[in-house]
Amino acid sequence: MKAVISPRSLFIALGLLLALALWLSLALGPVGLPLGDTLRAALRLAGLPLAADGLQQAELILGQIRMPRTLLGLAVGAVLALCGVAMQGLFRNPLADPGLIGVSGGAALGAAVAIVGGAALGGLPELFAPYLLSLCAFLGGLVVTALVYRLGRRNGQTSVTTMLLAGIALNALAFACIGLFTYLADDATLRTLTFWNLGSLNGASYARLWPLLLVTLGVALWLPRRAQALNALLLGESEARHLGVAVERLKRELVFCTALGVGAAVAAAGMIGFIGLVVPHLVRLLVGPDHRVLLPASALAGASLLLLADLFARLILSPAELPIGIVTALIGAPFFLYLLLRGRT
Amino acid sequence: MTRPLAAFALFASLLSPLAASADNLPQRWVSAGGSLSEWVVELGGEGKLVGVDTTSQHPASLQKLPSIGYQRQLAAEGILALRPEVLLGTEEMGPPPVLAQLAAAGVKVEALPADADLQVLHGNLKRIGVLLGDEARAESVFAAYQARLKEQADWVARAQAETRAPTVLLLLGHAGSSPMAGGKDTAAAWLIERAGGRNLTTHDGYKALSTEALLALDPEVVIFADRRLGGDEARQALLKQNPALASTRAGKEGRLVAIDPTLLVGGLGPRIPAGLAELSAAFYPGRTPLEPATP
Repeated sequence: MKAVISPRSLFIALGLLLALALWLSLALGPVGLPLGDTLRAALRLAGLPLAADGLQQAELILGQIRMPRTLLGLAVGAVLALCGVAMQGLFRNPLADPGLIGVSGGAALGAAVAIVGGAALGGLPELFAPYLLSLCAFLGGLVVTALVYRLGRRNGQTSVTTMLLAGIALNALAFACIGLFTYLADDATLRTLTFWNLGSLNGASYARLWPLLLVTLGVALWLPRRAQALNALLLGESEARHLGVAVERLKRELVFCTALGVGAAVAAAGMIGFIGLVVPHLVRLLVGPDHRVLLPASALAGASLLLLADLFARLILSPAELPIGIVTALIGAPFFLYLLLRGRT
Repeated sequence: MTRPLAAFALFASLLSPLAASADNLPQRWVSAGGSLSEWVVELGGEGKLVGVDTTSQHPASLQKLPSIGYQRQLAAEGILALRPEVLLGTEEMGPPPVLAQLAAAGVKVEALPADADLQVLHGNLKRIGVLLGDEARAESVFAAYQARLKEQADWVARAQAETRAPTVLLLLGHAGSSPMAGGKDTAAAWLIERAGGRNLTTHDGYKALSTEALLALDPEVVIFADRRLGGDEARQALLKQNPALASTRAGKEGRLVAIDPTLLVGGLGPRIPAGLAELSAAFYPGRTPLEPATP
């Protein structure tokens, strides 16, 4: 694959795109705030001592609604794209997706247990319920991924192919269990489950944001350190081993990072598809497969795309809003098809 | 569009003789609960509604208002854009972080219980009455409702003293797939019982019923709630999709009764007594049906 543009110009372009997405995400919403108010409220929130007259509403909307939502979008988009790169590197296949190793299926199962089980237990205390959902989703993703990883190991070696097949089997199993919970659920629970599966950045709050921000920061700092090793792995496992890469350790780290990152993202925002698949692919088309560029560029692009998708989701049906998973899939699926068909000619 | 309207409303309220007491009353309402919206309209508050959720379908005029989406998936900023003073809804309303954000923005969030219980309804009506500034009307509407349900219960008691209660199934259809039968803990069972029938199901919730189970239960009356079709058309479709239904007693005697599926959600709404009377008339065809309520 040949680079279309140089890494430097790509980073400048993506930096500008992210800045634009961040600004739009803060400045636009169903409540029409005058640009001046948004600016002054933003500066006040940043700590500048400006006069507060007439800014209460702008400050509240910016500080309590748009800011946490924007940070959530930033983190989810970046971490999903980074984990996408990790998975495509691990499977040495540009069509790999974080869902392959069972994180998403496991998280969805965890969420179903929390939603349906929580309702069956007669409802948990109002404050605790959302945390239970996030925790169950996160743990579900982690447990199923660990299982897929275990099944892929034999004689101290991890077979990527076995992992892939085990992932497919466990995903099927997870979705069968979700089906069972769906059958047991009553109407209201069912709708909650359906909406959770479509993802949303709605209702973001700082309290629920920081675990994801920490995980995202960890993944974003850790994965680029392994960029050279990922590059070596592109040549093949034995080649990478001959180049001095501890391949087994690398695989373990990639799986762990993905389970942690995607698990945390799904726990915070529900299922959001196609970012992890499409973004790395898109970036690879632009600058080639060098992971030293691919990883940070994908994080920037993923965050920008998710923020723009969320902007669409919250404006198009206002005052109601569209689940963001629908928007990303509507953009992602046709693009995926385009990639498939383009390779044929 | 909304700003001049609000200014006009403010101006009008200043002119009105009630201005003194209406000053502190919320003038812009968003309602996120089907039967609560109906009650707001019933108590004369329709003009104050500026947005409703997807379950608020009655009266039809509410469908023209901006939709805030599904009651469990409310969007904080979307609702704030309607500049409401009150968000009225059931305890199912959510997600909780969004309600907290709305409350922080100064919206009075009123989460009322949705149980199908007269005491609960009384409390809810009183609350809506207070917020509308017309408690007397809320009390009289509740008294009439209670009397109406009492009349219904008496009618059923008299009917059951003379005739055996018919066996009934309520089928919820999504035209094209096998129908779901209302289980013993559902609003369907509640309606059947209050209308004087005997619900045949033993399961909880709404579950798909197999053809054989339908034949074995052999209901005398089948109530069906179809979201797409209405009346005779739906009756034909139901028989066509479930040929077995035709060989049950209900099918042979043509005792298939259609009801509006929105009666099954959101607790006790204003249309319940009329719906019950209609069902009762179908359950006991030989008796003089209850007169429709005079408002």
